[in-house]
Amino acid sequence: MKVPLNWLSDFIDLPTRDPEVLDEILGSLGHEVEGWETLRPTFEGVVVGKVEEVGAHPNADKVRFCRVNDGTSTLDVVCGAWNFEAGAVIAYATVGARLGTDDAEPFEISAREIRGVMSNGMICSARELGLGDDHEGILVLDELGLAGDADVGRDFSELLPFDDVVLDVSITPNRPDCMSIHGVARELAAYWQIPITLPDVDVAPEGPPTDARVEILDPEANPRFTGMEVDGVAMGPAPLWMQFRLLSVGQRPISNVVDVSNYVMLEMGHPIHTYDQDTISDGRLAIRRAEDGERLTTLDGVERTLVAGDILVTDPSGPIGLAGVMGGSTTEVSETTTRVLVEAAHWDPPSIMRTSHRLGLRSEASARFERGVDPNLSHLATQRTARLIVETAGGVVRPGLIDEYPTHIDPWAVDITARDVSRLLGPEPTLEDSDGLLRRLGFEVAGTPDGLRVTVPTHRPDVTRPADLVEEIARLHGYENFPDHVRRGENGALTPAQAKERSVRRILVGAGLAEAQTLSFVGQADLDLLRLPDGDARRIGIRVINPLREEEGTMRTTILPGLLKAVAYNTARGTSDVALFEVGRVFIPAADSTDIRIPHQPVKVACAAVGMFGADGLDIHGRPTDVHTVTGILEMLTAALGRTMTLSAAELPALHPGRAAEVSIDGKPCGIVGELHPAVARDFGLEGRVAVAEIDLEPLIADQPDWSFDDVSAYPPARFDLAFVVDASTPAAAVLEAARAADVGGVLESVDMFDEFTGGSLGDDQKSIAVRLVLRAFDRTLTDEEVGPLRTVIIESVVAATGAALRGG
Amino acid sequence: MDMTELDAVVEAAPGRIAEAADLAALEELETELVGRRSLLSSLRRSLGSLEAEQRPIAGAALNDAHQAMSALIDVRRAALDLEAENALLEDDRVDVTVPGARPPRGTHHLLTQTMDDVCDIFRAIGYQVATGPEIETAWYNFDALNTPPTHPSRFESDTMYVEPFDGEERSGPDELLLRTQTSPMQARYMEKHDPPVHVVVPGRVFRTDTWDATHAPVFHQIEGLAVDHDITISDLKGTLAHFAREFFGPEAKTRFIPHFFPFTEPSAEMHVWFRGGWLELLGCGVVDPNVFEAVGYDPAEVSGFAFGMGVERLAMVRHGIADIRHFYENDLRVLRQFT
Repeated sequence: MKVPLNWLSDFIDLPTRDPEVLDEILGSLGHEVEGWETLRPTFEGVVVGKVEEVGAHPNADKVRFCRVNDGTSTLDVVCGAWNFEAGAVIAYATVGARLGTDDAEPFEISAREIRGVMSNGMICSARELGLGDDHEGILVLDELGLAGDADVGRDFSELLPFDDVVLDVSITPNRPDCMSIHGVARELAAYWQIPITLPDVDVAPEGPPTDARVEILDPEANPRFTGMEVDGVAMGPAPLWMQFRLLSVGQRPISNVVDVSNYVMLEMGHPIHTYDQDTISDGRLAIRRAEDGERLTTLDGVERTLVAGDILVTDPSGPIGLAGVMGGSTTEVSETTTRVLVEAAHWDPPSIMRTSHRLGLRSEASARFERGVDPNLSHLATQRTARLIVETAGGVVRPGLIDEYPTHIDPWAVDITARDVSRLLGPEPTLEDSDGLLRRLGFEVAGTPDGLRVTVPTHRPDVTRPADLVEEIARLHGYENFPDHVRRGENGALTPAQAKERSVRRILVGAGLAEAQTLSFVGQADLDLLRLPDGDARRIGIRVINPLREEEGTMRTTILPGLLKAVAYNTARGTSDVALFEVGRVFIPAADSTDIRIPHQPVKVACAAVGMFGADGLDIHGRPTDVHTVTGILEMLTAALGRTMTLSAAELPALHPGRAAEVSIDGKPCGIVGELHPAVARDFGLEGRVAVAEIDLEPLIADQPDWSFDDVSAYPPARFDLAFVVDASTPAAAVLEAARAADVGGVLESVDMFDEFTGGSLGDDQKSIAVRLVLRAFDRTLTDEEVGPLRTVIIESVVAATGAALRGG
Repeated sequence: MDMTELDAVVEAAPGRIAEAADLAALEELETELVGRRSLLSSLRRSLGSLEAEQRPIAGAALNDAHQAMSALIDVRRAALDLEAENALLEDDRVDVTVPGARPPRGTHHLLTQTMDDVCDIFRAIGYQVATGPEIETAWYNFDALNTPPTHPSRFESDTMYVEPFDGEERSGPDELLLRTQTSPMQARYMEKHDPPVHVVVPGRVFRTDTWDATHAPVFHQIEGLAVDHDITISDLKGTLAHFAREFFGPEAKTRFIPHFFPFTEPSAEMHVWFRGGWLELLGCGVVDPNVFEAVGYDPAEVSGFAFGMGVERLAMVRHGIADIRHFYENDLRVLRQFT
């Protein structure tokens, strides 16, 4: 909210106008100052002048020739405005004056010839002086009551409080009472413990009583309605000082009556509506809830369709206003209005919020109503408005304040004990201190046997419980005055699963992958890019009801599309070697096993790589990414975590039919690995082989009851290589498994494949698999005599299991 | 035994050994001087023909000659070995400034690092880490956190709702949504744990926000909660000021200004003085009694504080990152700056 210090000074004597100090103080009270603006006149060299003579220009019809007294001499000025005559006191820009000094290029006034007549300066309009939009005519200062003959020659900038500082204060939603200059002044008065002046609400009713009547048909929707009639108004512009203030808070002046309503709302925080009373049928208003489908044309000219629950102001002709949100077009004040009905009403906050949000009609008024306007302010706001209308638009207040208030809302009492305060705030402030602090805020305080009984004024709907009072005490005491104490817990250890999850990330980072964070959404288009078949479970995601973009329309069932897009983002920017991983949740449309109210949201580990992967240097550039890149990463990851991974080749959606596998960890299927199908890779904008994996995190971080030490032998190993010729379709894993399964009395330390060979002397449907075996005993050095028979046992095992032939054997 | 010839050999030996140009020449010389066919060896073989009393004398003289020459040969051999090795090493010289054989360098995402950093700061003072579901019920995200049914944060303009996963329509507290904050874990954690509670909750949250430099529909928060029988506003201030010093450096100044959140009362915003200005860093407050009631804690018996901070904001402030989109583009040129 914009708070000009000059306006604030109507209510309190500011001990300081230093914005930095005010920033500090308002901040400490919970009203953050987001910034401030220093206002200065936008002109230099403008004086109060008096028009001595007005005559026709000898050579032009549309302008007139004037003689203007600037206090020292009388000069010739040509003027295009017609809204003044001789004798008018005006704002006179002398030769050398500068206008628009807040612009990059101010306009300097020079003496110049206009159609053969020298014009020495300019008579200014409001707009030329930065005082609003009005440029229909010049400013006639004596008509506006701003200056008279005695002021001629004075610097115009002295006439209005041009020098001002406007604070931009952020008001939290629990404090509707501070959405006004008066409210902010009340907080500062409490802080400084200084008196506050209330706005003048005296009215002098005259003539016959008003015939306007209001009936509240739904007191829950409209707990209070106050109104007052002002008769005989003359619509026109508001006085300059009021326009000036509205402009300083960014509000565009419209007309005297409308400006007064806005002024009172900004000043007192109570939104005001004004009707042209002569357009209200029979002068009778009734307040009720709308029915579904009712229609109303609001004053912006839009026909609105209403729903049950909207609150309507009606007259015998039907709805004439959407209460608290926007008036109707038929009853708004216009240029011809002479009789104004002022309305200050209290509306049900949630109803206003629903209606204004639904229709997208959020205004200064609805913002206040939906947070809660003080119901006991309504009659004062009505009177203040009526008074200011009379002041600015003439007319008289008709006797008879309309005040429908079926159930009076009274201040309420909240009891608070010393312990309520000390257990949340500590020993200071004491109960006695608290008493004083609450009184400063305008709360009535009385003692009880163990504490205080606090009566809360109705402008503080946020204070209903002891905790709310504690907040008020803390706020006024000053948060900075509470000592600091570091609160320690008992045990900051990660759980084993959390520690292992960190390990998963660290191992992958250590392996050379970069961690990505991609969005939790997928679009149907992403799943199409993956070419997932219709029946694929990953096709069935949980839909977002209100996504902002279609690609954020479904919760992801797989991390891969997001990760592949991130890979493509990099390759498109010239990074050709990319290896990413992500650890994140996917969303499965089935109940969670521990909380059936929500869906299952398991964490997956996914990776994707393209280009070269591995060590990089002068004569080494990694190796081209393929399926083995990622199976190798998974092998390393699982081995490092003490798990056993097995792969079984499979044809899988999105993946290369001959280069994909299902992954099992410790015997449990948990994901997939492989190269992308080239067509899928192309669709993601990727070239070359793209290797991916996506597995469950759970088996990697699950408890490991049997993770015990395996002793190491002190004896040397016996190493030998074997090459087996097998059918081309035999998986290498079968050879390795058979070798491991051979009964060699527990001395087989490792089997690893080091070569694969086809062609040469081998048949077309054959391949050679070369493995290196390491045997080692715990209790002795294996002799050649021992190793020979064991070698035979291993060969026999492989031959039996795979039909292999020992190459060169 | 005539030693004259041997004396001449021994006398000439040092010069000849020193002149041996390489190991092969030295080996040849060694054979000649002390080898089996050397004069020395032949004299040794003839020792037996001497008189018994002369044998030790002659033997000692022969041994002396052998030792003298062998020692010189060993010294020369060591010198030649060294020379040969040095020559080899010289041949082996490379330009060490060419690019090394770099293992692939992975990186942790800056958001993960930041979350780990924050969690570790709190773990060091005894806070547990917990995580929770990202699709939540309105009850945990709003109702349990004292957020009124009409609160604007529940509107679709702020909160993303999801369709029921099982086809069963839900309404009110059962509605499913993408959690807008990590705060729902406050209630979930307290339901499962009795006080005292000291926990931080990192995780992903969602808002109906359009992408721009400071907004994203997905971002991360870290929630904190401490509940016990004796917690006051001083614990809140001291703990978070400690966090700021740990995260931004020992000079970090903090200030707390009153604010409003539905689930804390009193509430505050913590500002940190960083790079010459006050920055809003996080929201916090004393846990509202209604939150305790929602989870079955007795608000007359326990008190606590809670806080929530944006991970992206922390990282942006600490590292001078101006655009939140950098976190989600996963550009390796960005990721690799923060390992």
